[in-house]
Amino acid sequence: MTEQRRFGESDHEPLAGDDILSQAIGQWREETPATDLWPGVASRLEARTAPRRQQFSFTLPQLAMAASLLISVASGVTWLAARQAPAQVEAQSTVIAQGEAAGEIEGGIVNANFADAQFNAAVTDLEQILRDERDRLDPRTVLIIERNLKAIDVAIQEARMALNDDPANAYLNSHLADARRRKLDLLRHATELASAGGN
Amino acid sequence: MPVDDVVLATQGDAAAFERVYRAHMQRIFNLARRMAGPDAADELTQDVFVRAWQKLALFRGESSFATWLHRLAVNVIIERFRTLGTARERFLADSEAVLDIAPAARTKHLDLSMDLQAAIEQLPHGARTVFVLHDVEGYKHEEIGDILGVSAGTSKSQLHRARQMLRVLLRKEL
Repeated sequence: MTEQRRFGESDHEPLAGDDILSQAIGQWREETPATDLWPGVASRLEARTAPRRQQFSFTLPQLAMAASLLISVASGVTWLAARQAPAQVEAQSTVIAQGEAAGEIEGGIVNANFADAQFNAAVTDLEQILRDERDRLDPRTVLIIERNLKAIDVAIQEARMALNDDPANAYLNSHLADARRRKLDLLRHATELASAGGN
Repeated sequence: MPVDDVVLATQGDAAAFERVYRAHMQRIFNLARRMAGPDAADELTQDVFVRAWQKLALFRGESSFATWLHRLAVNVIIERFRTLGTARERFLADSEAVLDIAPAARTKHLDLSMDLQAAIEQLPHGARTVFVLHDVEGYKHEEIGDILGVSAGTSKSQLHRARQMLRVLLRKEL
């Protein structure tokens, strides 16, 4: 990644240390704007809210099929990512070592622990609702939901284990966040279904 | 900067976006100053962050946010060059273009004391861009080629000539 590289590490013949250009680049001062540019930026920002989650309505068989597909794909990619982990660790550690400290990784990498508390709280709430309302669902429906939740939990657990070995792996972090979001979606659909009396 | 600020900004939190701006502004400002010159740096920096705000939803986290923002900034700056570009300053359409540096300008400036910033401003936009991206920012020729829509060979050729020109200009300062 660009910001972690150091001068002279690119693929062109590097400049010699005593090259006048090399010295000039080394002395090229960082400057700050004479005025605060933020007001000019802020005045041009359009009000923007997070895109509203589109409301989908699925039948239970569709839900079950989607969850099964997710789990199959998730297991496969987790396995693949875990297999590639050593090479990625090497590449990423090189990049990080040249730039930011590992703990200061910015933006792109969502840490595995990100929003753990909120996620757990939401899952606990939804699971409680589902427990309270489960009698309103057909037992076969409950079975399918529970089976799929269990499978997603396995996918989450696998991603967590892979992240233990490679905590900075952006893909695994993204995959974990995705799996957790899907678990919440499934729980929400299930509780909505239960609240509606299983219809 | 906490990761959360980027996430919050993505959700439309302008206060979080200001923190993102504060964390990255200087780097973007200096990139703009080096690529486009001090006169254009302020406005380009603002353009970059406005564009970032508009495009935040597209940030997927495949790279670090700093890398994503840097690449976005390079594209915004190059877009500006292209908008302003004339046939003479056409962006790297001709790998020999850098040889075409205006003799009048060279004569005019050779006897002036100049630092690298002043020297680099004597180069055409294309050569300056390749030099800054490669020798200062650490991009590879393949990446530069992708950004500019030229071959890696053209990027190498531009860099070679840009270095030659800058050495001449800088030695005159000594």
